[in-house]
Amino acid sequence: MAAGVGLALVVTACGGGGAGKAEQDPSAPLELWARTTPGGDGEKGMKKLAAAFEAATGQKVEVTAIFDDFETKLSQRAAQKDLPDIVMNDSSQLGTMVSQGIVREVDLSAIKGSDQLLEPALAAARATDGKTYGVPYSAQASALLIRKDWLKKVNLTAPANWDQMVALAKAFTTQDPDGNGKADTYGLAVPGSTKRGYASWYFSNFLWAAGGDFIAKQSDGKYKPAMSTPESVAATKWFRDLACTSKVVQPGAATMDTPPTNETFEAGKTGMYVVGPYLMPRFDSSLGKDKYEVVPMPKGPKDSTVLAEGGSVYLMAGSKNEAAQNAFAGYAISADGQKIGMEGEKAFIVQLPVNKSVDITTVRPDPRWKLYADVYREHGRYAPSIPNWTPVRQSTADTVNALIADCGLDVDAELKKLDQKLTDTLSQQGVNAS
Amino acid sequence: MSVREATRLTAPAQVAPAAADRPRQKRRDGQWWVPWLFLAPALVLFVYFKFIPMAQAIGMSVQEVRPYLGNTWVGGANYAEVLGSDGFRSAAWNTIVLAVGQTFGSMLLGFCLALLVEGQTRKLTFIRSAAFLPVVVPLAVVAELWRIMYHPTGDGLINQVIGLVGLGPSGFINDPHTSLASIAVTGIWRGAPYDMMIFLAGLAGIDRGLYEAATVDGASTRQRILHVTLPGLRPVFAILFVLAAVRGFRTFTEVFLLTNGGPNGSTEVVMTLIYKLGLEQSRLGVGSAGAVLLFGATLVLTVCVQLLRRRRAA
Repeated sequence: MAAGVGLALVVTACGGGGAGKAEQDPSAPLELWARTTPGGDGEKGMKKLAAAFEAATGQKVEVTAIFDDFETKLSQRAAQKDLPDIVMNDSSQLGTMVSQGIVREVDLSAIKGSDQLLEPALAAARATDGKTYGVPYSAQASALLIRKDWLKKVNLTAPANWDQMVALAKAFTTQDPDGNGKADTYGLAVPGSTKRGYASWYFSNFLWAAGGDFIAKQSDGKYKPAMSTPESVAATKWFRDLACTSKVVQPGAATMDTPPTNETFEAGKTGMYVVGPYLMPRFDSSLGKDKYEVVPMPKGPKDSTVLAEGGSVYLMAGSKNEAAQNAFAGYAISADGQKIGMEGEKAFIVQLPVNKSVDITTVRPDPRWKLYADVYREHGRYAPSIPNWTPVRQSTADTVNALIADCGLDVDAELKKLDQKLTDTLSQQGVNAS
Repeated sequence: MSVREATRLTAPAQVAPAAADRPRQKRRDGQWWVPWLFLAPALVLFVYFKFIPMAQAIGMSVQEVRPYLGNTWVGGANYAEVLGSDGFRSAAWNTIVLAVGQTFGSMLLGFCLALLVEGQTRKLTFIRSAAFLPVVVPLAVVAELWRIMYHPTGDGLINQVIGLVGLGPSGFINDPHTSLASIAVTGIWRGAPYDMMIFLAGLAGIDRGLYEAATVDGASTRQRILHVTLPGLRPVFAILFVLAAVRGFRTFTEVFLLTNGGPNGSTEVVMTLIYKLGLEQSRLGVGSAGAVLLFGATLVLTVCVQLLRRRRAA
């Protein structure tokens, strides 16, 4: 009953037809919504950027930070036909927002400096119809964090390939690297929960490096499920063996999302962790900068592809001030905007710059950031822009989670079942290549 | 909210026969709309915040919901998708198992607790308050507490305890074979003291004289519980059953926080599935269809219990 009420409250106004272009008012202030914790560092960073934009152009911007139920609150505003002008959110939300019709197409020629954007980031802002619906302003990729003191203790070096990674994980698990006399350390931290699809999100770093894929694009632009290809099966088996055979993954991984997993790394229970650069400030203060090092992911059977993600500026439909929307997007990707976004110890909103002309070392001399930037440019790969990526991530997370939780399951059978589910999902979205 | 809803659902059943039996009274002086005026504030709130949203949920369940572009009518397609999916069927089964387990577990434990702490002594008040604590602790805290206690290795809290008798270590919420039972135990731990309080209220209503008479007749403690206490608590059982069943059907927070339906869907319940479909995947139409089905199931269950009660009372 509560769910019915809750779902219904989402839509408070009666549905009408889609709204056309609103009457333009070049002096209307921009309303900006950012998916970040209210009162947190992300909000401060957004406000800093908005203030700099205001100072540069005289255009007013009102920043609202929302984190919990961001999409639900956006749906409420959609139902009222009164969307914010700008939404700053994950690049992976593109498909959902396009299929709801709440973003407008971006005319890149109207966005100043869009020719300076890195191609992979820009490609992630293109929907299945080939049109662009967002302007990427920040990017990130995954790299491997390793406990430096543990490495020394077990007398090994940072792994260069998967075999060395397994060997190191085993050493961390069995050789008591924290020296407390108890077998309470583990090689690799894994957020294996199904919540928000974490298991799949983490696994993509391994799946892609092995040459596997969740769904594979066909020549006609549609997709086929690819979780039961030999490469995907091999990657899944390898990843699962970490949890089931060599037992180097922290216990309880199957029910942990990122916060408890971060804690295992901070508390000295796990020695390796594959994460984006945004966790470095946290680990620097909780664990200590000298306690861990950042290295590129070891090379998999195919290559070193890692998951790339990012944030985009979405220009929302029905805005009264489209010129200012374009100007803001242009400012966010300009060299000035990118630098302001990167500045600060914690309150930064740009992880890695998406503007070719911006060199990260000029703002952040720390070489670890340069490493992340290089990994992103050389090995970063975004999730494909299908109309709704969430169900694909959710069902693959369900299967990966099941496989690491229940070591008795048959991998091949589970992956075949998953492919069937993915076929259904792709058909529902009209992008299934049959 | 569940308490209020349940009372609202039970109230008409108790009032209606009484009103019918009463001889027709002469209308008091005053206007017919005066009672409605007094009811208006509550009614307006109910209509606006409950009944209209509920009607809209039903409306949304037959549409593809796109708040900005406008909804499109899809008829029973959302229902067909929900009912046809394996996920929903196993979630429905898990919900029933969890609801039944938690309902009877909480009632049994609550009843035993109530018998133990019944009485007037001052020390008992303290113990009663202590026993009631789980109910007032926020569920998010309860879930985090149990996650720590359920730590899946040998040095986990509960694993140490069961290790003393040579069992375990169990994976608890991390093992698909024990995860649902583990969540049920958490639910019972939290629900039992609530049931205990209602049982205590019921026990206070039983005539002491009956116990004394039974003792004089030579009844043992077991016989007194069986033939005096339990029959005296019959109405309490009925209300507890409805409350607990409704609560069981809507289990969400502990599952969401402890396992989010995993591992391998072993703890997926209808509410977490609705949340995933409707809010995480932004498919509000399909989510609403699931919510309406859940509402229907709750309604049917409540009506059945009411009918059973009324037949027994008659």
